[in-house]
Amino acid sequence: MSENRNLIEVKNLKKYFGKVKGIIKRKVEYVKAVDDVTFHIKKGETFGLVGESGCGKSTTGRTIIRLYEPTAGQIIYDGTDISTLSSRELLKYRKKMQMIFQDPYASLNTRMTVADIIGESLDIHKLASGKERQEKINNLLQSVGLSKDHASRYPHEFSGGQRQRIGIARALAVDPEFIICDEPISALDVSIQAQVVNMLEDFQEERGLTYLFIAHDLSMVKHISNRVGVMYLGSLVEVAEKNELYSKPTHPYTQALLSAIPVPDPDIAEESKRVILTGDVPSPINPPSGCKFRTRCQYVKPICSEEVPELKDIGGGHYVACHVVNN
Amino acid sequence: MTQKLLEVKNLRTSFFTHLGEVKAIRGISFHVNEGEAIGIVGESGSGKSVSSLSVMRLLQFPGKIVGGEVLFKGENLVNKPKKEMMKIRGNEIAMIFQDPMTSLNPVFTVGNQIMEVILKHQKITKTEAKEKAIEMLKLVGIPSPEKRIKNYPHEFSGGMRQRAMVAIALSCEPDLLIADEPTTALDVTIQAQILDLIKGLNTKLGTSTILITHDLGVVADVCSRIVVMYGGLIMEEGTKREIFYEPRHPYTMGLLKSIPKVASDTKTRLVPIVGTPPDLLKPPTGCPFFARCDYAMNICREKQPPYFTINEGHRAMCWLLHDEAPKNELYDSQKGGVRSV
Repeated sequence: MSENRNLIEVKNLKKYFGKVKGIIKRKVEYVKAVDDVTFHIKKGETFGLVGESGCGKSTTGRTIIRLYEPTAGQIIYDGTDISTLSSRELLKYRKKMQMIFQDPYASLNTRMTVADIIGESLDIHKLASGKERQEKINNLLQSVGLSKDHASRYPHEFSGGQRQRIGIARALAVDPEFIICDEPISALDVSIQAQVVNMLEDFQEERGLTYLFIAHDLSMVKHISNRVGVMYLGSLVEVAEKNELYSKPTHPYTQALLSAIPVPDPDIAEESKRVILTGDVPSPINPPSGCKFRTRCQYVKPICSEEVPELKDIGGGHYVACHVVNN
Repeated sequence: MTQKLLEVKNLRTSFFTHLGEVKAIRGISFHVNEGEAIGIVGESGSGKSVSSLSVMRLLQFPGKIVGGEVLFKGENLVNKPKKEMMKIRGNEIAMIFQDPMTSLNPVFTVGNQIMEVILKHQKITKTEAKEKAIEMLKLVGIPSPEKRIKNYPHEFSGGMRQRAMVAIALSCEPDLLIADEPTTALDVTIQAQILDLIKGLNTKLGTSTILITHDLGVVADVCSRIVVMYGGLIMEEGTKREIFYEPRHPYTMGLLKSIPKVASDTKTRLVPIVGTPPDLLKPPTGCPFFARCDYAMNICREKQPPYFTINEGHRAMCWLLHDEAPKNELYDSQKGGVRSV
């Protein structure tokens, strides 16, 4: 399904948010939301990005699409570095990259009809007008399982699952190549989640889409992704093909994260031994020196506080950033 | 150990809104034995939270219990005067709410909020209460509790706030703990910590627990018996193994099919339940699951099915279990629950 060409290459991406302090409002502290992240996404594949809240997975997604300006690093889309393009030059790429947001209640403008929500991007990119626009909107609504009668309604008239479908229709309106799905199913009920995930898979097959799937639901990420990256406190700690990652997690954090998934099968749930992490995620303003996970890691060694571990290939495209594993 | 601590009999709760009566709970019966942990599973709007609020008598206007009984230690709570209810709440039945960010009072210190419960229900001095509060925080695994007791909720992280909630709930050693989606707002690693805590309290202290959740994975670990709710009714009830491995209700089967399986390496397509839950303003006359059911028959639309008992303790509300129901191969193939693919 996936070709070998890289559609997205992210190189040493950094996104710091400055915190203003004092009377003269100097920026003194930085929240290092994304700190030196490197990965690539092949054309036609789904790359899953997992991690706890506050680990920078959403910020990574938003920086790639340049909703946030990157502090440093490169974002290469199909061979072109888009991290420094002006907003006019970027417009061309915005048409190729779209986003589906987490909260279907907050991401749709309540004062616009569904037709206008979906049609807005058609207007901006001057893709269709008049009857053609209407027809396109109707087709999109039908393809996400809504009817064309819904076009004149407002978002409050829809349920959560239906709103997420509208969000998907909006993303598909401009015929994108790449879609960032930022927790698209977390706000939905279990039985509705499967409907939305199946729809995303169908569209990928039909249109050859590439997805960056951001989620904290590890079992759903395993289901939908080809490769998965695990983030902790702004850094990627492990990247691997999904079956490899879920069967042979190597980084201590990945191991703990995977063992924490509640398994919906009593026999397995009772047998499995949990690696329970103690404490909370440290503050991204003053992250621990060296390996950021060392404060919660059970295998911690002296070197962990001195050097930042590099993301190294341990074979077969399985990358791990850990001193204990790499030595 | 088979003494019934809580028994809910044919409970009905409605919300009287300006649009009409929303029948949130339409006659549910279940019980909790002493020392037992049961799980109530269902989607949003299935009535699982309203049933716990009804048990606690915490319903606010326009919600009202319109029928049925809630027997706690043999006493009916439905008609108890407010004052007596206050003695039971927090003391004998305690509750943990979903959102730790909003259920703690931001203007009081965490220690203050734990002490409040203890001072209310026990005749002890303030210093003793403070010691007890520190002890509780230690029990739920908060480091340096002597200092933390002076913190305000905003100084705690999400997981710590939920721990503080657990500490408040347990400070009077309740007989029954109701946890309403205690981990929904938390990350998986923190969720594992909290679930471990609740499970430990159940096994070590013997606190009976009702765990309300939409996550089947959570109940698979913690609970011994599971109640599946849908459209204000209990669809199926049974032991954990019966629900996961021998489900008899199409809704339970559907729920199990719609979640991805972490254990398998092969990719199988998810099987969603089509459609959306019923509108309880106009609840369907027949089975609430009728419109979304793959095996629906004519009678399902017309008449609400009674409970059919499969084993002792395992019952389901579905016409397919009637002797005269036609054989359905598709239905039979799903009888293995999570193990049938």
